[in-house]
Amino acid sequence: MTLDATNHSQRPLAGLRVLEVADNVAGPYCGKLLASLGAEVVKAEPPRSGDSSRRQGPFPGDAPHPERSGLFLYLNTGKRGVTLDLNDPQGRVVMRDLAANADVIFHDRQPPEIESQGLDTETLAQANPDLIVASVTPYGNSGPYAGYRAYDVNVFHAGGEGNLLPNGLALDTFPDRAPLVAGSQMGSYQGGLTAALGVVAAVYARANGAPAQAVDCSMQEAQLSLGYVPIQRLEAEGIVEDRFSRYFRVGGTLPAQDGYVELLTLEPRQWESLARMLDYPDWATAERFQNPGEYGPEINAHLRKWSSAHTKDWLYREAQAHGVPFGPYLSPGEVFHSEQQRQRGLYVEVDHPSAGRLEYVGPPFRFGDGPDLLGRAPLLGEHNRAVYEGLGYSPMDIVELARAGVV
Amino acid sequence: MAGEKTGPLSGVRVADFSVHAAGPFAGLMLAELGAQVIKIESSARLDITRRPHTMYGKPPSSFEQVNANKLSVTLNLKEPRAVELARELVRVSDMVLENFRPGVLDRLGLGFDRLKQVKRDLLMVSLSSNGQTGPERGYSGYAPMFAAAGGLGYLTGYPGGPPVELRHAMDHTGGLMGALCAVAALCGKAPLSRERAGNGKAGEAGEDRGIHLDVSVRDVATAFIGPALMDFAMNGREQTPQGNGNGAAAPHGVYRCAGEGAWVSIAVTTEREWQCLRRALADPAWANEPSFGDGYQRWLHREELDRKVEAWTLERTPWEATNLLQAEGVAAFPSMSADQLMADPHLAARGAFPEITHPEKGRQRGVAPPWRFTGTPARLDRWTSSLGEDNDAVFHGILGVPFEEVRALQEAKVIW
Repeated sequence: MTLDATNHSQRPLAGLRVLEVADNVAGPYCGKLLASLGAEVVKAEPPRSGDSSRRQGPFPGDAPHPERSGLFLYLNTGKRGVTLDLNDPQGRVVMRDLAANADVIFHDRQPPEIESQGLDTETLAQANPDLIVASVTPYGNSGPYAGYRAYDVNVFHAGGEGNLLPNGLALDTFPDRAPLVAGSQMGSYQGGLTAALGVVAAVYARANGAPAQAVDCSMQEAQLSLGYVPIQRLEAEGIVEDRFSRYFRVGGTLPAQDGYVELLTLEPRQWESLARMLDYPDWATAERFQNPGEYGPEINAHLRKWSSAHTKDWLYREAQAHGVPFGPYLSPGEVFHSEQQRQRGLYVEVDHPSAGRLEYVGPPFRFGDGPDLLGRAPLLGEHNRAVYEGLGYSPMDIVELARAGVV
Repeated sequence: MAGEKTGPLSGVRVADFSVHAAGPFAGLMLAELGAQVIKIESSARLDITRRPHTMYGKPPSSFEQVNANKLSVTLNLKEPRAVELARELVRVSDMVLENFRPGVLDRLGLGFDRLKQVKRDLLMVSLSSNGQTGPERGYSGYAPMFAAAGGLGYLTGYPGGPPVELRHAMDHTGGLMGALCAVAALCGKAPLSRERAGNGKAGEAGEDRGIHLDVSVRDVATAFIGPALMDFAMNGREQTPQGNGNGAAAPHGVYRCAGEGAWVSIAVTTEREWQCLRRALADPAWANEPSFGDGYQRWLHREELDRKVEAWTLERTPWEATNLLQAEGVAAFPSMSADQLMADPHLAARGAFPEITHPEKGRQRGVAPPWRFTGTPARLDRWTSSLGEDNDAVFHGILGVPFEEVRALQEAKVIW
């Protein structure tokens, strides 16, 4: 499905002009979300090399190709793409012209690049006093760690969540291993999502009369905000949680015949339902459930033995029919074939000139009007001509910039 | 507070029917951004987080922050007059936030279609496990289940080991997505740029039909594994958990340091960073071995490389290792616990733990909003209201119900 202009214009951020100067996952996910919500996002990449995710897989047939990286294709849907060298003074002049014609710019640059690439708020505000300037960086724009380098694994452990994982079965299995980062660079997506909310809040404020402003989003603080619970337990109760103390005494991750399931009974009625489903064995009495400190290990030994004899799907359906909160651990392939998500239209076919037709995960929200449309990711520098001509550059100017390696 | 700058969502009012974690976190984000969020609860069925926890015995402190900055009112929605008052609140609000199982609000007479009768351009944000549609829409679940069924749980874990449950942060991430969509929808009613104002498009997005936003937290988990699903779509390959590692680069992991439970994360993905690491480690002889000669060799021999790196970290505290590595430009950071975070100078300098007044405990620190706005600051400035604390301010002050009637309704267990 390609972008339908009519439908696109009805999305909530239609008409909002956003400039993205961001690499890999966190910043690009922010831009992807804004594009999904209807904004016109122009992504500026370094000439020749492009976004670093273009060099990371997965690639079809495992053959590396800058236009076929699954990571890049997924994180840059719905954007237009230009190339621009911000380390070149001429490139920074072009950036000022881009900024002058945008509502929002967001970037992921830390000191010293933030100044040397002309992305500091003062420079950008000079180019366009109405511009909202947002940044999403590992540790924020101020403070002693502002310039610290980080990848997802560092940020996730810097924000406190990593220190609390894993729990339950994985910890029982490997008690000596290091605390664990969440899979699939979750912390980077959380950072991008947090930044996107900061951006739209500033957009809303500006639309209602507030001046344009800067928004500084720290990915470490996004982790803290989302994971405030251990901070509160310490502040209010004086308890420092760690991965050994923070686990579900009853249930949690259980083995199944063909994988794993998750069981969580937070309410007595749910435990009662589970006992009924199991035909009231001695070990599952309400009294024992209410005393998980003492009986938890024994209950879990029974639960694990029972669940191992059944399939994930059987446990899921049967338990849900009894009103017991159970969920299957689904592999990517099982998720891809999920009937629930298929019926919701979560997967969207996207055609791309180099990578071809593939089904992508669409936005995880619905505005009440059917499946969302998803534009494809741009080729490297695909929209140079359209975007730069739109700024008033002549075809000759663009050729000159290209010859100088600026675009 | 007079003279103080207000938040970006100043003037926005939210009728918040949500309970537990995901919905209330969406409300918290809106409240931190300056919206007036009215949390509607009932003594007849308390938010689970106000009750003693089944497993831990006492009311968990998780309730405290997630409901900060909000007003608290009580309505016993089994009473027709309470349902009327709820509709009145919706009428004067800019959005409704809820995370009941699909169908519950309809049965209470507060479903989307019914509320649209009192507010034509209703914006309702519904958060749920599986979404408002599909065969599993009615299934119950908590955060670890959304993450599991969405595929993120499967990809979290040590290589070859069982999957790992993701907890509050997963709920809250769903709430964050809901808050993003909600504010975007509000933007849809405003003139966003000069261009759009000129085209007269403002308001088109929902003025007439209302918007029912449907956010499935399971789908949020799935959106976060997009690249693994691309691999499946491209190659039919099932990705598996990577621990703290990276599928293509080494060293990349969390390494044991000197001291009890002391760990540092280190990530090197480029040749330049490898050279920086060598400098930070004072160029040890083993770094010249051919088995570490290029990025591919280092990845192939990552277990051996990890042992070499860990021999170095074991002689240092996490901060000693971090400082030496960062000085050379290598991505490194300690694996932080809550007490270390609360004592950290960087977070202190950024005001990450503001003190606010707790009605019983006095001054207490919370976690700051995750953004710094230069013009319209977001803030955490009011601790969680006690149940029904703002009944007068809302029912009398906003809806204009006379005090005597508020009292009578409280006695009749309608406002309750």
